[in-house]
Amino acid sequence: MRPETRLTVSITILVVLVAGGVLVVSYEYYHWRPMQYMILATTTSTYDSGLLDYLIPVFESKYNIQVRILSKGTGESIEIAKRGDADIVLVHAKTWEEAFVNEGYGVHRVGVMYNDFIVIGPKNDPAGIKGITNATTAFRKIMEAGNQGRAIFISRADRSGTNAKELEIWTKINVKPSNKTYSWYLEAGAGMGTVLRMTNEKQAYTLTDRATWVAFRDQLNNLEVLVEKDIILLNPYGVIPVNPQKYPQRNYKAAVAFTKFLISEEGQRLIADFKKEGETLFFPMARDFGKATQLGFPNQAQEVAWYDTQDPLALQSTAFVTIAVLNTFHNLEVNFSPSLICSWDDM
Amino acid sequence: MNPILEGLVKALWLLVSLDPEVYSIMFLSLRVSGFAVIIGAALSIPCGATIALRDFRGKRFLMSIINTLMGLPPVVVGLLVYLLLSTSGPLGPFQLLYTPTAMIIAQLIMVIPIITGVTVSAVSAVDKGVREKALSMGATGWQLTVTILREAKIGLLTAVIVSFGAAISEVGAVMIVGGNIRWITRVLTTAIVFETELGEFGIALALGIVLLLLAFVINWVLTQLQWSGLRR
Amino acid sequence: MLVETQGLTKAYEGREVLKDINLTVQEAEFFTVVGPSGSGKTTLLRLIDLLEQPSRGRVIFNGVEVGDSERERHALRRRIGMVFQQTVLLNSSVYDNVAYPLKIRNQTEDTIYRKVQETLELVGLKEFEKRKATTLSGGEMQRVALAQAIIYEPELLLLDEPTVNLDPRNVAIIENVISHVNKNLKMTVIMATHNMLQAEQLADRVAILKEGELAGIGHAEEIFGKPSDFLASFARLNNVFSGVSHVDEGGLAKIDIDGLELEATITRTGKVTLFIRPEDIILSTSPIASSARNTFRGKIIEATDLNRNVQVKVDVGKVFVATITRRSFQEMQLNLGSEVYLTFKASAVHAV
Repeated sequence: MRPETRLTVSITILVVLVAGGVLVVSYEYYHWRPMQYMILATTTSTYDSGLLDYLIPVFESKYNIQVRILSKGTGESIEIAKRGDADIVLVHAKTWEEAFVNEGYGVHRVGVMYNDFIVIGPKNDPAGIKGITNATTAFRKIMEAGNQGRAIFISRADRSGTNAKELEIWTKINVKPSNKTYSWYLEAGAGMGTVLRMTNEKQAYTLTDRATWVAFRDQLNNLEVLVEKDIILLNPYGVIPVNPQKYPQRNYKAAVAFTKFLISEEGQRLIADFKKEGETLFFPMARDFGKATQLGFPNQAQEVAWYDTQDPLALQSTAFVTIAVLNTFHNLEVNFSPSLICSWDDM
Repeated sequence: MNPILEGLVKALWLLVSLDPEVYSIMFLSLRVSGFAVIIGAALSIPCGATIALRDFRGKRFLMSIINTLMGLPPVVVGLLVYLLLSTSGPLGPFQLLYTPTAMIIAQLIMVIPIITGVTVSAVSAVDKGVREKALSMGATGWQLTVTILREAKIGLLTAVIVSFGAAISEVGAVMIVGGNIRWITRVLTTAIVFETELGEFGIALALGIVLLLLAFVINWVLTQLQWSGLRR
Repeated sequence: MLVETQGLTKAYEGREVLKDINLTVQEAEFFTVVGPSGSGKTTLLRLIDLLEQPSRGRVIFNGVEVGDSERERHALRRRIGMVFQQTVLLNSSVYDNVAYPLKIRNQTEDTIYRKVQETLELVGLKEFEKRKATTLSGGEMQRVALAQAIIYEPELLLLDEPTVNLDPRNVAIIENVISHVNKNLKMTVIMATHNMLQAEQLADRVAILKEGELAGIGHAEEIFGKPSDFLASFARLNNVFSGVSHVDEGGLAKIDIDGLELEATITRTGKVTLFIRPEDIILSTSPIASSARNTFRGKIIEATDLNRNVQVKVDVGKVFVATITRRSFQEMQLNLGSEVYLTFKASAVHAV
């Protein structure tokens, strides 16, 4: 083409590119740096239960802080927080939580809620554990049945809280299970949903948290709850803000605000009210100091007291753009049922 | 209902109903992979052309390295970029982790060896005589390079198409450096993983079909460019 | 443009491909370089087109020596056109290919359009504008290449065996165009070829290259009037036969080529290889009485149009190639299958 038209075209393209670039950058800026945000590292089972999507909008509109959730395995979440890539962790793995605090990565750890694990297995129950109230005994019976070739146990084997609990029970009967030593012990290395489906397919036994079971049980026709309500099966959740001295870049204020919210009366009430298919999935324990201590939070009383002294107004974000404005674009409301999390039948 | 059929119907519904979350995810996928490929091409094509047109010591060795990097698993790239951008990492102060920018960076690194490698191949395949012919007709430096690149057009666009396909359908890198955070860094591939984990196979399939449709539209446009002006 | 080379030498990895070439080509001259493959013809042309630098020696245009600066070489190359042996075209339309040299000179659309039309007409490809250049036949592609080389009116045109492997019709067109630009547009032409016939027809002067060295330089008639062994070895000579020679007491050699007997003035005996130049053979429709010692009768099995001449293949037991003027061909009403007599002198039979 003529040199002149070529020049015009080039300039037009350049202008379009630059304009486009400016638009994109400003959209990016508007979209994710309009306000304070906080990165919460939690576990897949916690996130998949739907509790957070229920709680967080309340927090966000109250404090005007955007919560960004990383839902990974417990091990990964803690590792991420140790590297300073998250502001706060919400997990259910006592040993790792304690190590996290002792190694100086976290401060002001508090217990928020607990739920429980259940042992599920095939309806025909070859190991004969149905109704046993002692989870440890049940595990032993599964092992015996397994050794006789009548039963299979599937483990998360992924460093999750559930995995940690399962191993804790095996330890009580002095067993260090692995597929090498016991052929009936399968190490899935996967999330709870996947493991549940696998357990269903193979008509095996496994340990699961109640919340995920409730969410999935319609798909799991071969399985039912066999053992529950043993104390050892209780699963406490701890929330730990990341130490600001270790990582001053992180949003410590927001982490404190969120924790304060969780353990507040309102937060605890919301947790208790959260139901799926008519079942309560999580039990608040922040202000039940006796229970908290029993479940591994010896400093609960002091920490709660400390949080109570934190002034909510000082913790609120004073950013220009509010969550409400941002959320109109996303079509979010307080009682939002996420369109992608509900199933087709609900639509 | 047959799950695949269910997925197809759901896919169409999600698109037609202008579901904001799906569109947000789609546009993020496009944006991240698009930018990665555009920037990647701008960097790699001149590099690749230069490597192809010059002879220098260690050229074969360099090509082996590039070819190896082409096969670098995206998840490994993701891991490396994560360690780089992490607060504990060298680029910590920039706080880029779990943002679309981090995802673009990761995909950019993944895409550069691919485009460079294919460009070298395409430009090398241009008849050596073309360069001399152009020279003898009086073309100078810049004109010469443009002429050769034009001759390699089909190959260059293949590089773009292939790398875009790889970028938009990879899940490892964007999962690790993006974190699959809802509304912020969730793209089609990570959303599919998420829905699959939840057991929502129908929605996961639907998203997969949306991804394919998206890729098809983009590739159709690129293929037009690739073969333009070369009708009989 | 006046072209001069002084002591031009080129070596690749220690091997000298061109040794100390000294020649001068006059303004508007048609200069050919003949020699077998590997004799350095291509290298010589490439050095003159400044595509490569000589190992020693220099090239001088119009009295000005070519310097080292890339810019100067670029500028000079723009005044030289080159047609390569292997046709290479751009992957686009014929129009785009031929317009390319003008586009890179930033000429206007209108000028380009006009010149492309003119040039395409000149090479006989007027209707081929929109065709994709790489789908053309070999001859058509080479004509496009020629068009590309002349459209920007270079002062010097270099051609490296431009018609090798082409069918006679394309050869004719190309030869005409080259001749035209040389005679009418005064373009200096340097052409490499191993077709002696072509060189003889078109050139003013001829240089012979043998293994990188100049083995002779002079006017066409001189060089081709006396074919040497060397020329015969590579130049596409016709009428090459092998036979056994006996020289009788009179000093005349009788050579048996598979049953056919020729008489020649050579002195060698035993196994020989012969050739006869097609122009030395007289064609007639009835036997002629002459001093020529060799007369054979046969049928025309092929006739090829070479523009001004016709090349005729006659089977007299062995196949001979003769060249006669087109007018003669028409006046004698010759055709395929026509019965003709071949006559040539004993002295026209050369031994290689």
